[in-house]
Amino acid sequence: MRKTIRYWPHSSALMYASIVLLYLGGFARAADASTWDASTWDASSWHEIETKYIFGFTTGSGIGIEGEKEFTVDSIGRFGKRDGHYAATETKYEYEFTPSQFVQIEFGALGSTHNIGGVTDLDNRNAAGFAGGFAEFRYLALERTSNNPLSVTLAFEPNVRLIDETSGERVHNYEFETTVNADVELLHNRLYAGFDLLYEPEVTWTATGDTVREATLGGSAALSLRIASNVLVGTEAWYLRHYDGPALSAFTGDAVMLGPNLYVQLTPKMFMVAAWNTQVWGREIGNSLPLNLSEFQRQRARLKFAWEF
Amino acid sequence: MSHSMLISVAAICATALLHAAPALAQQPTEVQLSYSNGAFQPSEVRAPAERPVVFRVKNLDAKAMEFESKSLRVEKVVAAKSQGVINVRPLKPGRYEFYDDFNEKALGALNVQ
Repeated sequence: MRKTIRYWPHSSALMYASIVLLYLGGFARAADASTWDASTWDASSWHEIETKYIFGFTTGSGIGIEGEKEFTVDSIGRFGKRDGHYAATETKYEYEFTPSQFVQIEFGALGSTHNIGGVTDLDNRNAAGFAGGFAEFRYLALERTSNNPLSVTLAFEPNVRLIDETSGERVHNYEFETTVNADVELLHNRLYAGFDLLYEPEVTWTATGDTVREATLGGSAALSLRIASNVLVGTEAWYLRHYDGPALSAFTGDAVMLGPNLYVQLTPKMFMVAAWNTQVWGREIGNSLPLNLSEFQRQRARLKFAWEF
Repeated sequence: MSHSMLISVAAICATALLHAAPALAQQPTEVQLSYSNGAFQPSEVRAPAERPVVFRVKNLDAKAMEFESKSLRVEKVVAAKSQGVINVRPLKPGRYEFYDDFNEKALGALNVQ
């Protein structure tokens, strides 16, 4: 059933403008001579940095500090389908804590928004609401030392959704995201490379009684350069494959996404992350048009704020 | 959740517990530090590899400090004129930096050999 919606045609532009402003704000914060002295720019005096969030959509291996607690608001926006107007966001309201020097646990609630108009195979929609919950268990399998620049973490994240991420329809969706998060310190306290491997099986029961099983498989590579003691800029590439089923036998399409990212430590106990990816290549099985806009989106953006306590 | 996923999660939990087990069996190495005038004394300390470490940090200053280290993955606020105890897992050989999170210039390092 198609609904009449109130369009919000400039949502993508607003998101990009916000990210550009945050970029400029981050540089301005780093360059503010009244709050930062010469050590801001002198890498030899910088403290070590937590790598989990410095790569944009790619997650680093960091698990935090034993006893540390954090509250984060993490929004991911997805924009653009083959036709019409498409803008969807999912926000995690997340509590994160590190009970030991090897384990990190996170859980929280999900909220979503959908602004969809004139997209083939999707109902028009303008809605926002509570979308479900999630938990994440992270285990540091290989730790970095001054003699070993590689660090590896295994992560498991079950999600329960009451609203479909893509269409915004009422559903019951169970997803089990499994990732390997690795990073390498290429230059001490200065340059980092991050790598993720992703396997994300899910099952969805729709309102009409259909059962949909699917899976996403992917990998990413990212580079992040610390340009000031509190600012990192970087870029990342993702390769994602979609399957109709968790066994990875029914391949339906793939895509490559590329984009920049920014990390700013705003205060010793607060930081923000901004990232943007655009689909630069993609294919859908059975469709000769360029890009994969059936399973993925033209662009995605991430904006995250975190408070440690 | 399928059986294979449950087995994976159980295996990870078991590995995490096994990772912690040797630390319970070994005697820790004690490292004594004092903190005064915004600096650690001594600023370089040593400990043997593969044994747990206990830092005893005496804050002699008139204001609180926060002993913190990303690579040791510990943090502890030590009130003015008091002592904090920080337990660290058995460590691999290497250099582990620590600092006062309330004072960017106060740095130190633990050399594990």
